[in-house]
Order: sequence, then C-alpha cells, then structure tokens
Amino acid sequence: MNATNWKLAGLALLLLGTATWTTAAGGDDEGARYTFRRAPVNSMGVRGMAELRGKPVLIDFWGTR
Amino acid sequence: MPASIKLQQQYGDALQVLFVESQGADADKFEAFAWRQKWMGTQAMWTDERPLEISGSGLPAFALLDIEGKILLQGNPLEQKKKIEEAIAEQVKKASSAPAGTPAVLAKSWARFTKGDVAAALAECDKLGTDVILAEPAKALRAEMVARTEAKITRGQWLIESGYAAEASTLFASLAKSVAGTPELEGKVGRELARLKAPDKALAAQAEASKALASLQQKMVKDKPFDDGNVKALLKLAEKHAGTKAGERAARLAKLAKLEP
Repeated sequence: MNATNWKLAGLALLLLGTATWTTAAGGDDEGARYTFRRAPVNSMGVRGMAELRGKPVLIDFWGTR
Repeated sequence: MPASIKLQQQYGDALQVLFVESQGADADKFEAFAWRQKWMGTQAMWTDERPLEISGSGLPAFALLDIEGKILLQGNPLEQKKKIEEAIAEQVKKASSAPAGTPAVLAKSWARFTKGDVAAALAECDKLGTDVILAEPAKALRAEMVARTEAKITRGQWLIESGYAAEASTLFASLAKSVAGTPELEGKVGRELARLKAPDKALAAQAEASKALASLQQKMVKDKPFDDGNVKALLKLAEKHAGTKAGERAARLAKLAKLEP
C-alpha cells in the first residue's frame, strides 16, 4: 500500500469512527445523559439532564434572529 | 416560543421546558433577548448547548423526552402542536403513577407521595412491608420516595448556598409539611429551615439580597423588563447588596439591558 492509499485508508477509518459516534450519540435516551458544560440560565442547580428524569422535558430549539 | 412558555406555566414543576439557542448567540445575548420578549419568569431553563441531536434541520424545532429521558416526539412544533400537548398530558399523568411493577395496594401510597404527603406514604410502605409478599416492593418503593425527597433537599441546599434564599424558603417550608413525623427526613429539612430562619451574618445578607432581587424580577417580567426604571433599580440593588450572589445577578441583568437588541 502506497502513501496515498494509507492516507485514504486512514480517512476512511476516521469517517467510520465519526459515523459510529454519531449513531451512538443519537441513541434513544441520549438526552437523559447529557451534562451541561455551563449550567443553563435559570437551572437552579440542575447540571445534567439525568436530574430531570421523572418529568417530561420539552426541548425547544430556537434562535434569536 | 410562547407556546412552550404557556406549557411551562400550565404544568409548573411537572414539566421542564429547555430552550436551546441554535443560531450562535452567546448566553448574554440570548438571555437579554428572552427578557426583552418577556419570556423570563417561568421555570423554563435556557442554554446554548444541544443535549441531543434531532433529525431534520431548521427552526423552529423541538424534541419531547418522556419521563425516562427517551425521545417521544421531534420535528417542527408548529406541525405537531396537538400531539405535543397530548403527549405531555399523558407523561405528566404517567409521572404521578407508581413505578412499573408496583402492586396496586402500594400504588395508593405512591399517589399520596406525589400529592406531597411524604410522611403518610412512607408510613404506609412500612406498614404494608410487614406483609411477606409486599416486603420487597414496599422496601423498593420506600427507597424511591426517600431518594426523591432527598434530591429535593439537596436542591434546596444548593439554592441556599447560591443565594436563592427566597426560593429555598418556599421549598423547605413545603418540605417541612410533607415530611413532618418522619425522623430520617424531618431532621434534615429542619436543619435547613433553621439555617434560613436564624442565618449567620453572611447568609442573612444573601437572603435579603435574594428577596429584593426576586421581588424586582417579578416586577420586571410584568412590564418593560429593561426600561430605565428597572435598570436603575437593578444597579441600586447591585450597589446596596454588593458582595452577594443576588447583587452579582442584578449587576449582570443591568449589563444585559445595555446590550444592543
């Protein structure tokens, strides 16, 4: 295998890894496992989604523009 | 957006709405924006971190998680308004039901628990747990009740330490009624109430500032949040209560008011 082929093989592995990670992160209870890097505004001490288990959570994706 | 806020108002603590800013605005900018729109003042939380990815693209978008944290619905909220409302109502009802597999006779204890009568619910579990057949499920249910109540106590302690004395007082006053007669929980709640009622000098200063800011914020959400009068009041509060966490929050809000809309 020449240098170009090795690079292509490496790129393919990298892409495969990314795809696998995306699938894992898109699992059913992904939202329940997330820990915030910075506490949300008005979180009153909630640092992770796991703390919200036991009640439904409506996530509203919005924009300021 | 207002639809989610209305749902948060409607369900209170039984639902958590999480707004995720998805167009790159930083925390200061999106919080200022939300204040100007009069969207603050509920239990809704605000972040720019996406806790999960959903299929599709574009805004508005939503994901509804069930009580176990699994995605129930997702997509454009404008196309699924009715479905969202029905699913939330169903989940809220489910949340008040006893955990799966709980015998019917113990489910009544759970119903008491969810209504806030923790002491009576625990006493029932203890009584029913003397039955050999019910011993294990009663023990498990009791443990779940205690864990959930202790989580509330921990949340209350965070509120005290973080300068939210007004909110902590409300929470512990409610908990005190719920756990009265249950030594293992009554003591813990009592200690926090005592801290709030006879606080040391530093905590008293935090509590006073917290009450002043809570009162001002209630006024802010009712009229023009960032008008001159409110900004002056925020600055005055920040100066008067300098060194407290509520004072810091007031200064930050005054700073947000000055950001370009």
